[in-house]
Amino acid sequence: MPVLCRTGCGKKAVLKRPKTGDALCKECFYHAFEAEIHYTITKGRLFNNGDSVAIAASGGKDSTVLAHVMKTLNQRYKYGLNLMLLSIDEGITGYRDDSLETVKQNRDDYEMPLKILSYKDLYGWTMDEIVAQIGRKNNCTFCGVFRRQALDRGAAMLNVKCIATGHNADDIAETVLMNVLRGDIARLKRCTSISTGSEGTIPRVKPLKYTYEKEIVMYAHYKKLVYFSTECVFAPNAYRGHARALLKDMEKIRPSCIMDIIYSGETMAVKEDITLPTQRICIRCKFVSSQEVCKACVLLEGLNKGLPRLGIGKSSKAKKMLEEYNAKQGHTTIKETMQYLDNNYTNIGNIENCLSNDKLCKSRVCKVSKNNTQLINISGKCNNGHCSGQCKNNQFSKDKENKSNTKINILLEQYELSETSNNVTVGPSHANILNATDLDNLYPDQDEDSCSGTCGKMGSMQIGF
Amino acid sequence: MSDCKKCGTIPGTILLRQKDLYCTNCFLANVNHKFRACIGKNRILSHKKQIENVLICLSGGPGSAVMSDLVCNAVTLNNHKKLGLTPIFFHIISSSDDMNVARSIITACNKKKHDIYLCHISEYLLAKKNKPIMNDIPIINKEADTKFRNLLNDMSSSTKNDYLIKIKRELFIWYAKELLCNIIFTAETSSTLAVNLISNLSLGRGSQVQHDIGFCDSRNDIKILRPLKEITFEELQHYININKLELLKEKAVHGNSLQSVIKLFVHDLQDNYQSTISTICKTAEKIGIQDDNNHTNKCSMCESCLSDTEYNLSALEATNYSRTVSIDQEKAKCLNNPIDQHSMFPHVKKYLCYTCSKNYLEIDPATLPVHFKHLT
Ligand SMILES: [Zn+2]
Ligand SMILES: [Zn+2]
Ligand SMILES: [Zn+2]
Ligand SMILES: [Zn+2]
Ligand SMILES: [Zn+2]
Repeated sequence: MPVLCRTGCGKKAVLKRPKTGDALCKECFYHAFEAEIHYTITKGRLFNNGDSVAIAASGGKDSTVLAHVMKTLNQRYKYGLNLMLLSIDEGITGYRDDSLETVKQNRDDYEMPLKILSYKDLYGWTMDEIVAQIGRKNNCTFCGVFRRQALDRGAAMLNVKCIATGHNADDIAETVLMNVLRGDIARLKRCTSISTGSEGTIPRVKPLKYTYEKEIVMYAHYKKLVYFSTECVFAPNAYRGHARALLKDMEKIRPSCIMDIIYSGETMAVKEDITLPTQRICIRCKFVSSQEVCKACVLLEGLNKGLPRLGIGKSSKAKKMLEEYNAKQGHTTIKETMQYLDNNYTNIGNIENCLSNDKLCKSRVCKVSKNNTQLINISGKCNNGHCSGQCKNNQFSKDKENKSNTKINILLEQYELSETSNNVTVGPSHANILNATDLDNLYPDQDEDSCSGTCGKMGSMQIGF
Repeated sequence: MSDCKKCGTIPGTILLRQKDLYCTNCFLANVNHKFRACIGKNRILSHKKQIENVLICLSGGPGSAVMSDLVCNAVTLNNHKKLGLTPIFFHIISSSDDMNVARSIITACNKKKHDIYLCHISEYLLAKKNKPIMNDIPIINKEADTKFRNLLNDMSSSTKNDYLIKIKRELFIWYAKELLCNIIFTAETSSTLAVNLISNLSLGRGSQVQHDIGFCDSRNDIKILRPLKEITFEELQHYININKLELLKEKAVHGNSLQSVIKLFVHDLQDNYQSTISTICKTAEKIGIQDDNNHTNKCSMCESCLSDTEYNLSALEATNYSRTVSIDQEKAKCLNNPIDQHSMFPHVKKYLCYTCSKNYLEIDPATLPVHFKHLT
């Protein structure tokens, strides 16, 4: 007995929706998926007729699906939006240059103008150069802070009303958990809002806020959308890694927990006597900042002064360091200053050390994620924790296709209905479609200091570091 | 061996957070201080003139063993530090294989010359509850007991864990009234509360955090206080060892559930990062409740305010729409009224909060006690 589509359309169901558990045919799944995003856009009043909207495009699955659906809905429901793509080139060899090719493909497929801004042009440094300066630890901080501001700058250049980002429901739920773990009440309160932005800034909106990552992967798979899937080569923020591992475990038990966590964030109040930091304008670059001088400017100052660790950590400390550095100049060697900085920063790592250290983390949470990696990464040879990262060049591209296909296969095994599984071939014939790691969201939360997007994942790469 | 971090004169024997050494005296003084400070700081007891009856809820777990010891010591002091309350000890018998625990709790309490009252958890389902029984195991109502087991058996483990907390809360309040107590003590430690915070968030109870995780649950006139709130599980264990307290049972969470996964996660993370639980608890401290003043409607099951803040769009509306669009795509064309009969949230906003409404979906309404008549 074939299972019939739950909507009563008369067709055979091909999949079970990860979000609701309902069995749907392909067309009804597309329709439901798109209708939900339309519902979010309409009810959340994300856009106005005639707006110019920049879609933050990374070439990853979230932003690719977002661009595809936005174009579809804009036509179907006559939003009257002027859509364009905005990409940031961090200058990461082998990672961003490949994904930018995918973004260019999106530009042609969806007939949208594309603007690419590079770190090199904006800041004078590529990520590769920054890594050469500071090593692999903490570079997520740079990558995240710079990208956030780069998007603002790009949006200003394009003169758009707002930026649409590809954050999905899983990302948001994960961010809630992460902010609880690190005790960040201000971000905890902000991270579930559908639209963020304060006076003088270009708002960010999240049309995929209620869309499950698994459904995004399945939608892209069935629609055969071309996207780039690989993991950032840098070590992720450990808090996010832990939050992600927890969320994955919980989702297995109760898939609705993703929506429930978002609901918690939406309805949660912050005690009145707690003052949240206010947003202001950086006195140097004139972009939004919670401090007098924004984090991007502090980091940049550090890089240019040869104190690359400046600004990793609390900004009050950075200011102090900078003052002391300036005071000491002339009668202290740079070596002593570096020594001083090292001493000051040994304790800041705290929980961060877990994933970015050379040593493997002993906690179960991490082991779990590493086991998953090994499972997924069965074809890879460098999952033993001793790989120093050099192997990335020869393993990288081989791994990514195998891994992608393994991941989508796992997903399909779970959610595709067996009667039809023979009709859908997944395998070598799809090898040209770089799809389906279920873990690559490429743009971090506006409030997210780390490179949570590109590298906050449980990929094979983190083991090497 | 280095000296005690506090007094600096005696060698420390108790290692906390893998780094701080204390001598036994300083350690015990500190636990006692945390307990007293928690009660004192919150002024709920201290500003009252007459001596209050306080329902001391004992589960038999490590927290309740320590709380009972701290309370007993504090009320038997002969100086100005004597705690001005009359403890009324109380235990809910959770299931029939719990009888040995119940018996040991009675023995332990009587040994300290205190009485203890007991009731069966299935009293929850009875319209007319039995009076609590003193120093003995009450006769069980077989029919209610069977009904209660069936009620729980039909639920997923995660819902069961959540619902049991609400059931016990209701019983604590009912029996407190019965035993003329205006205040209730329960024994959650900071470790338990950290787990409960993440559980609350994961179940959609984000707006109820202050009552469920904070020092005082003031949703009812009878207030529930958590005097062990600042004490960690680690300290609990040292306290139990030093005072040779008898442990009657381990704390249990049901099955493979959100709560069990979260518990494992928090404890593992704590083992690796000693600041985990304190950071989570500090987060909880900053979470408040929506301004209570103007709403009068309360959830029938957990007494949380049913916020009348209209969200144009929240996860509730989005979930309802997902259901609608997966069932009837014609109806889904209208964005404003998702279909009622398929609503994922029965009685929501009217009689039930988001999470209790979800729990309600897993309950056979016919088994519910009479004061839930309006939900059937
Ligand atoms: Zn259909
Ligand atoms: Zn990065
Ligand atoms: Zn700046
Ligand atoms: Zn001492
Ligand atoms: Zn409720």
